[in-house]
Amino acid sequence: MAVSWLHKLAARGRVPVFPVLGKQGDGVLRHLALSPQIELVDSPRHASVLLVAGEVPADRFEPLRRVRDQLPYPFTTLWFRSEPWPHLERVARIDDLDDLPGALVTAHRELMEGRRGSAHRLLPDKPPNPWEGKGDFGQGGEGMMGGVPYGRPMAMNMEDDIRDGLTLDSLTFRLGPFFFAFPPGMAAEITLQGDLVQTWQTQLAPYPQPLDEVFFDARERPVPIAEVELARVRHHLHRLFHALHLAGLEGVSLRALRLAHELSTSSTLDGLRRALSRSGFFRLTAGGGVLGSEQARMIGGPAARAAGLDDDLRAEDAGYRRLGFSPVCQTAGDTHARWRQLLDEIDQSLHLARLAERDRVHTEQTGSIETPRGPWSARRPADASTLFDELLPGLEWGGALATVASLDVAGLADQPVGTRPSGESRAVRGGTGNDV
Amino acid sequence: MELFALLVILIVVLGAGLLVQWLPMRHQPRPSWSQRVPFLGGGTPDSHAWSRYHVRYYAMTLLLIAFEMEMMFMYPWAVVFVETGMKAMMEMGMFLAILSVGIVYAWREGVFKWQ
Repeated sequence: MAVSWLHKLAARGRVPVFPVLGKQGDGVLRHLALSPQIELVDSPRHASVLLVAGEVPADRFEPLRRVRDQLPYPFTTLWFRSEPWPHLERVARIDDLDDLPGALVTAHRELMEGRRGSAHRLLPDKPPNPWEGKGDFGQGGEGMMGGVPYGRPMAMNMEDDIRDGLTLDSLTFRLGPFFFAFPPGMAAEITLQGDLVQTWQTQLAPYPQPLDEVFFDARERPVPIAEVELARVRHHLHRLFHALHLAGLEGVSLRALRLAHELSTSSTLDGLRRALSRSGFFRLTAGGGVLGSEQARMIGGPAARAAGLDDDLRAEDAGYRRLGFSPVCQTAGDTHARWRQLLDEIDQSLHLARLAERDRVHTEQTGSIETPRGPWSARRPADASTLFDELLPGLEWGGALATVASLDVAGLADQPVGTRPSGESRAVRGGTGNDV
Repeated sequence: MELFALLVILIVVLGAGLLVQWLPMRHQPRPSWSQRVPFLGGGTPDSHAWSRYHVRYYAMTLLLIAFEMEMMFMYPWAVVFVETGMKAMMEMGMFLAILSVGIVYAWREGVFKWQ
């Protein structure tokens, strides 16, 4: 009785969704973050619906199976713009972004009210290695720490400490590719000693990130500078949203996201900047992750300018020069400087967009453009996630994650962003309906 | 008789406690092994996370306890010292000798160095 009452109560609440991001899946994340009925959770243990958003490459199927099996009973899965595995029973594929929140709510309600059965687990229900009952503590080996309980040895592998010589047990594990604090698709093998990152090896590079269509157009023909700059601001604000979510500043992160959704040339950053200062975001990101000049050149874009390099292809464009453009730079090159740089660039881009809209200025240089990720002349900005291997060892775990969030390492995809903003797709659908 | 009544109350209370826990759980399947592994975003661990972790403030704690214990014992000792005389002096000397071993150890660990 009590349980069914609880189920009814749960069915009416917000839907806890754990998103597994495939290619171009992060747009869905931002769409759902603004949906009042959906609660995006960072661990499958808190979710009742697993959302596979975007196409997941075959080399990430095994991690996906593991994550899928970690949802508590009862659970279900939804596949968005991704082909469900054929052996799964009763799975829904959704293709329209506007239908997604409704489908998630329906799936959750049916699950809680018992009208839909829980999905089955895919991995075998047996311990990786059975409890052997040998040794002083039944751990299956000699001594207190000698065995391999449940197939895993105890943390006994000592490595020299790189901080202050106090050697602790080192813990080696692989994290990702569906870890919320990483760029989508990235996985790394990490060794921690206490809270210190001892080694970091990026194993799977993040998915190539799609850019707004206007950057692809800008390489072909002159486009309005106002449009390019607003797209740039939107890209930066999306990154800020992810970083603020990671920092646990949910209110400010949604504020950044709303600003990105309602962006126009009359938007200003002042309110958000004040909220960031008040929330202590800049203190959270203080120091750490300093880029050397060679590393800064390798990654390019705002991260390079935050390290003091004043390379910006916009300075070579006559259209931008007419608007009085000159690159803004920082000198420190650390996590804190990168966020300051990003905010300064957003301010600058909004100013440029206002001027360009007033004077109807277009870009004049095609072929080589400055994307929000970095310069794109002969080649697209490539993946730079291996940079973490040399940058993160020696940092504490919190500092390492703040550094990961502050660097835009994913390479650029060869296709523009495929997910249309919800308002646009609704307008298109509505129009089609009227015609018919 | 009273002991028997207490025993019965204890059994009834324990039984009720267990019943309250068991009732909502009785239809729930036990979490599978694949559900119980640590969440690493799809990754796997090499070893158990039962690591020995360095409590870096331990030397300072040792020092605090050494001096605090000393003070706790010294106040009552000061009250009886005049009556008891030399015997109390000897006892306090032994006590301080034992405590000072801890202080000497903390000294060796560098607790008095300002960092």
